[in-house]
Amino acid sequence: MGLILTLLQQMSVFLVIAYLFSKSPVFRPVAGKVPRVRRTVLIYLIFSTFSILGTYFGLEVQGAIANTRAIGAVLAGLIGGPKMGLAVGLTSGLHRYSLGGFTAFSCGVSTTVEGLLGGLVHAYLNRSNKGELAFAPSVAFLSTFVAETLQMLIILMLARPFDEAVSLVKVIALPMMLANSMGAALFVSMMRDQISMYQEVGAIFSAKAVKVAERTLGVLIKGFNAQSAHKLASIIHEETGVAAVSITDRNQVMAFVGKGEDHHMSGHPIANELVRTAMDENRTIYLDGFERQYICPLTDDCPLGSALIAPLRIDREVIGAIILCEAKNKLLHRLTRTLGEGIANLLSDQLLRIHYLEQRNLLMESELKLIQAQVNPHFLFNALNTISAIIRKDADRARGLLQDLSSLFRKNLKRSGELATFQDELSHVNAYLTIEKARFEDRLQVEQTIDPSVLNAKIPTFTLQPLVENAIKHGISNMISGGRIHILACQDADRMLIQVEDNAGLYNPDPQQEGLGVRIVNTRIRNLCGSDYGITVDSVLNERTIFRITLPVGGCTS
Amino acid sequence: MIRTLIIDDELHARDELHALLSEVGGFDVLASCGNAIDALKQINLHRPEVVFLDIQMPVIDGFELLSMIDPERMPHVIFVTAYDEFALKAFEEKTLGYLLKPIALERLEKAVAKLKDTLRDGERSTYESSALLHVPCLRNNRIKLITPRTITHVHSSTSGVHVVTDEGEFYTELTLKVLEDQTELLRCHKQTLVNPRHLDELRLFDNGTGEIILRSGHSLQVSRRYLRQLKQTLNL
Repeated sequence: MGLILTLLQQMSVFLVIAYLFSKSPVFRPVAGKVPRVRRTVLIYLIFSTFSILGTYFGLEVQGAIANTRAIGAVLAGLIGGPKMGLAVGLTSGLHRYSLGGFTAFSCGVSTTVEGLLGGLVHAYLNRSNKGELAFAPSVAFLSTFVAETLQMLIILMLARPFDEAVSLVKVIALPMMLANSMGAALFVSMMRDQISMYQEVGAIFSAKAVKVAERTLGVLIKGFNAQSAHKLASIIHEETGVAAVSITDRNQVMAFVGKGEDHHMSGHPIANELVRTAMDENRTIYLDGFERQYICPLTDDCPLGSALIAPLRIDREVIGAIILCEAKNKLLHRLTRTLGEGIANLLSDQLLRIHYLEQRNLLMESELKLIQAQVNPHFLFNALNTISAIIRKDADRARGLLQDLSSLFRKNLKRSGELATFQDELSHVNAYLTIEKARFEDRLQVEQTIDPSVLNAKIPTFTLQPLVENAIKHGISNMISGGRIHILACQDADRMLIQVEDNAGLYNPDPQQEGLGVRIVNTRIRNLCGSDYGITVDSVLNERTIFRITLPVGGCTS
Repeated sequence: MIRTLIIDDELHARDELHALLSEVGGFDVLASCGNAIDALKQINLHRPEVVFLDIQMPVIDGFELLSMIDPERMPHVIFVTAYDEFALKAFEEKTLGYLLKPIALERLEKAVAKLKDTLRDGERSTYESSALLHVPCLRNNRIKLITPRTITHVHSSTSGVHVVTDEGEFYTELTLKVLEDQTELLRCHKQTLVNPRHLDELRLFDNGTGEIILRSGHSLQVSRRYLRQLKQTLNL
């Protein structure tokens, strides 16, 4: 009984050392975040040390040593597999053999067997897809318990004289089996804590990714160019903490931020062939700095030693690459790799979205131009005819109309922006209406009810005119007399309302007939001001047609 | 003096043409009309020799107006248009041509010379016109367009020609002759047309006349003169 307590006491001391050790950076390889060869070597050294320490912490009992050597050997096997278990067991066993005593040989053999046993459990768990159980305290406990039982049997089989072996086993069997099993279980649970801590670090990395996503969101809106690339690279450099970030297009470096800025300069052609390969083959290239080195093609004293090169895509077309670099003395962490690839995907998605938006805007602008081009000749002919007729009767009025016409066309040419004040749009429409009123004379009357508070609100250009034009073209011009158009603008608590009403009531809901102009106006409002806004139509045949535009209170913001 | 009508929906265009015709001389402008309904009325009233006809007009355009004019009263037509449209080219050979707005005096003078030749030769004006798609009727400052298919019958009286549909009775400037020629309506009496689609019953009387009962319940007299023709058309 006394032996059990003493052995547990020894084991506790051993565990305290193990605990301190597990907190030190040297322990990190066990959590599996370094290159394989290095990890293997480190695990071998660490667990061999622990195992040998176990021997030294042991107690002399009847010419043998009651010890906690098994913990290191079994755990090495559990974590590193059969080969690792065998190696650590053999090392520690040889060490024990060298210390002598009548159980020297049997203990040497049994420690080797124990290491192998841990390794076999590891292999079994892996094969049945339960690899994570290698870090379960219960598995460590059972494995070590079985291993120690085995050791006792081996001592009985190999140690001579047999009588002494029996009496030794009687004394040490239970204490050693219990102390080692508990020790292994506790050790493993410590390691598990450590690993889950690393996973929390992973969560911090995810948070970083979200931060990068947030901060880069608006950057590409003005297009993919040197300026936006530099901004992106700076954000990613800041948020990830890697040594350097570079963004390239297909031919040249668009931005480089971080270590090595002195010789990796934006505007230079891409020097590293691997960047071209990554783009040509549309795949991520990972130079971990251990098995594959990043070799700077520009200078020998480049501080960078590892790199992750990920292609940037629009749809499937590769348009550039993003490169995350680490300094020579630091390996690219695996998490950085995930993060780097994530960032590349994120940027690709953003590029695609921008590309899509650009295309859509381009399409809309060209449709807009088409509409203007379509409308203008007819309108122009009518206006010129009207004016030419009025010249004969009233030269001053004709001169005024020509001024309206030229101001209309001047504004049409000048209006290249997306938003204009309602007042601007209204004066544009008024110039238009003056001409149409001259054309239709008493067949057209215009009323306006304008709340002064909307005059300075910004609305998408080319919003009001197409609707008024529509009301005339498809409404009033089909009436023999008594045509009336009412333009109303006001705002209430949650929106701004612009309304164009005619009393023709000839709105045709058939989309084939509906003016392309109205559809474009609607799309533009939704794009520029938000999808909650747009145009609705309300029509009673032969009585009235009302186009209602809703916009944000106070207009749209660009 | 050439008896003339100006048809254009724009006031200033009418005034301008009027002024130009005064400049050229020799025209008696009987009326200026702003729409097709008014134009039909004035043509029926004044029997002009020539009309200057704008193609783009509300509801009924210049081409369609032609199909609504009684061939007996068909004037010579000079089209006026703001748009140099392709369709017009085909028309050019059959008409006295067209004038582009704003009208150039020299072009007008040429057209007038050609018109005077035609009038001197005493050529009659005939225009191929397609079947009537709409029957324009006047109601509340608007032209109500009635699809011929929905007309049950038409009758004329001293107050004019009235088109009857299930919706009611509408006044039109179209003559019975035009409606008979350009639609599927059949003559059943000197002053009545009937749409065979809406016919429910045809009663024959001993004196050679008959009576038509329509699905709507209306009854129409069939005169002796048109009964045989009607029976033939209906395959009776």
